[in-house]
Amino acid sequence: MTIPLNQHIGAPNSPLVSVGDRVSVGQKIGETEAFVSAPVFSSVAGVVKAIEDIPNFTGAKVKSVVITTDANQPKWEPKPGKSVDELSADDIKAIAKNAGLVGMGGAAFPTHVKLSPPKDKPVDVVIINACECEPFLTCDHRLMLERPADLVAGLKLFIKGVGAERGVIGIEANKMDAVEKVRSAASGEPNIEVEILEVKYPEGAEKQLISAVTGRKVPPGKLPAEVGCLVQNVGTAVAMHEAASTGKPLYERVLTVTGQGIKNPSNFLAKIGTPVAALIEAAGGTTDGPVKLIMGGPMTGFAQEEPIANVVKGSSGVLVLTDELVDIREEHGCVRCTKCVAACPMYLMPNYIVEAVQKEDWAKAELWGAMDCFECGCCSYTCPAYIPHVQYVRKAKAEIAALKKR
Amino acid sequence: MYTVSPHLHEKGQTIERGMADVLIALTPAAIMAIIVFGFQAFYVMLVSCIVAALSELIMRAILRRPHSLRDMSAMVTGILFAFLLPPTTPLWVVAIGAFLAVAVAKELFGGLGKNIFNPALFGRVALMISPLALYTTKFVKPFFWRATGFFTPVQTVINNAVSGRVVYQGLGGKLYVNTVTNATPLSLLKSGRMLVSTVTGPTPVGATWLVSNGRPSFWSMALGFKSGSLGEVSILALLIGAAFLLYRRTIDWRIPVGIFAAFIFIMLVTWNHPLYQLLGGGIWLGAFFMATDWTTSPMTRRGKWIYGLGIGVFIALIRLVSPLPEGVAISILLWNVGTLVIDRYVAEPKFGEVKKPWFNKVPIYAEPAPAPKPVQEKA
Repeated sequence: MTIPLNQHIGAPNSPLVSVGDRVSVGQKIGETEAFVSAPVFSSVAGVVKAIEDIPNFTGAKVKSVVITTDANQPKWEPKPGKSVDELSADDIKAIAKNAGLVGMGGAAFPTHVKLSPPKDKPVDVVIINACECEPFLTCDHRLMLERPADLVAGLKLFIKGVGAERGVIGIEANKMDAVEKVRSAASGEPNIEVEILEVKYPEGAEKQLISAVTGRKVPPGKLPAEVGCLVQNVGTAVAMHEAASTGKPLYERVLTVTGQGIKNPSNFLAKIGTPVAALIEAAGGTTDGPVKLIMGGPMTGFAQEEPIANVVKGSSGVLVLTDELVDIREEHGCVRCTKCVAACPMYLMPNYIVEAVQKEDWAKAELWGAMDCFECGCCSYTCPAYIPHVQYVRKAKAEIAALKKR
Repeated sequence: MYTVSPHLHEKGQTIERGMADVLIALTPAAIMAIIVFGFQAFYVMLVSCIVAALSELIMRAILRRPHSLRDMSAMVTGILFAFLLPPTTPLWVVAIGAFLAVAVAKELFGGLGKNIFNPALFGRVALMISPLALYTTKFVKPFFWRATGFFTPVQTVINNAVSGRVVYQGLGGKLYVNTVTNATPLSLLKSGRMLVSTVTGPTPVGATWLVSNGRPSFWSMALGFKSGSLGEVSILALLIGAAFLLYRRTIDWRIPVGIFAAFIFIMLVTWNHPLYQLLGGGIWLGAFFMATDWTTSPMTRRGKWIYGLGIGVFIALIRLVSPLPEGVAISILLWNVGTLVIDRYVAEPKFGEVKKPWFNKVPIYAEPAPAPKPVQEKA
């Protein structure tokens, strides 16, 4: 088990254990004082073998705790929890922080930070993102089918935690079975409704989801609180409920292992730190001719050279693609067909950003919206010239951020 | 395998497929051209395509670029250029025009994606303003080949520019015909031989199917039984192709809608018969296949509206106030230049920007400030 100490957006954690220490399931092993951060917990019982810098799924080296697991793994023993009515908003934020909750759709932004919007921007709607961020992934769908009551309970905690009036669960129209389950689970709740959304990518993107559910548009460069909204993922809501009712910290998550390259595509409840190779094995291994391994979804995930990455809090899927779908070609110059402009859900000008980056004109890159891009990949997906816009955007973001720091 | 996201690519979204879509969409119009103007139409298209492809091959070899025949853009230019010519155009004139279109308008500007002008239109207008214009003005009656034979090689057609008599030199000997050339519906209008006031509603199908009151009926104009350039005559065939392109989302609907909206509006307020004006010329070919060219039309949604409306206004003005009977090609070429300005200054609202000024404050291609020169101190 290799557990990276840094699995969230924000300040890095320092280790709380040292080599040779015994750790138990759910023991806090990494923490920091900073507000924008989330502690990390051991997912297994065992002995700390090493604490060293190990590349995570993005390839960046992150300080990680390597644990030799015991043969017998104890189950989590639930601690007595409290119901929503007994908890105050501050209690809920504290629970989220202490359980190490982060956004489990992939971005891994600390949940308690999201639950603390600026005072002048009250949140009135909490939206549960049940859209399945990307094609191929089914982990949220599975969670909704199996644990709809936990989802609703988690949503109630979020509503109370942020002081909102109502909650909406946005589910895409191709998951009607989930809609029914969640509806019946939420039938007793007057302020929670289930909204059926159009099936399209990227409907699960935060700003697009808010627009689809409430009709409100988050201005560029602003957070959802600007329009009185809070968006949380299905997995996060379930984890929130678990943390409040049983005291269980976030040390395992549901993720999808799929793709034509996988023999038995499945969803797993995987412990944080599980090696990807073990997950692929659990899903029956790979079929002949897998060519690409991706952590995350097909549109925004990270391609892996070798199956050595480990599951983190933000891992939503492991994808193995065969050459049937992988279509890589040499990049042609832009032909100005404007398909990227038509595809962009943020109404940016992807090809102009590319052009500005090629000319290293960072002011223009920003003018055309490089900083507003959330890298959904729609532009590259549809580009007849096979231009990797997202790569250029990432470069622009890094350069612009560096210029602004100066 | 290590690549950046996204890891999928939309099926059938390639440059080749986009160009193939246009070729497929042009097929009905090409077939109608051959039916209406005889096999000569096929020769014009064939020569245009071959010369376009060869020009691209040669130019790219000279400019030391890898050849790009595979993307089929030369074929599209070849067919579109042929569509802009009258069927009597001598094949050597066709060849010169096709060469200008591809070699000058496309390859010298940097190849597909870098050209400022629509290559086919550039070739056509280059011929129009050159001495060769003489060879590109003789329009013929639909189905003239019934008198001369379907396969008459009109390579040997000699236009008598003075009398309007046309001499055919077929395989079976010489044949003199003086009833072949014909004015297009729009030049008929321009020359005053037909008053606008005589244009009334559609004529009933029947004996007056082809001609009524000395002008082609609306039905014949819509189906393509009229004088004109090869590709523009059959509006029905063009519409079938346009519907296919819109369905495939190869072209953007805003541009043709803008063109027709502005054009019909001006025709209505100036009390001209919009139906005759619509069915008479090349506006359908221009609106769906020329103005929507990927490279030479604006990028932004707002820009596309400005561009489309602008073209519509220009076509209407050229037809109404200039001595030219038709102005589609020139209007679109002028707005190809306008595209440069539009793309430089017109802003596109981002998601969540409710009110966005129409113009960018920062011009896109502003020169970076020159590096300060070291000042030499005087000793």
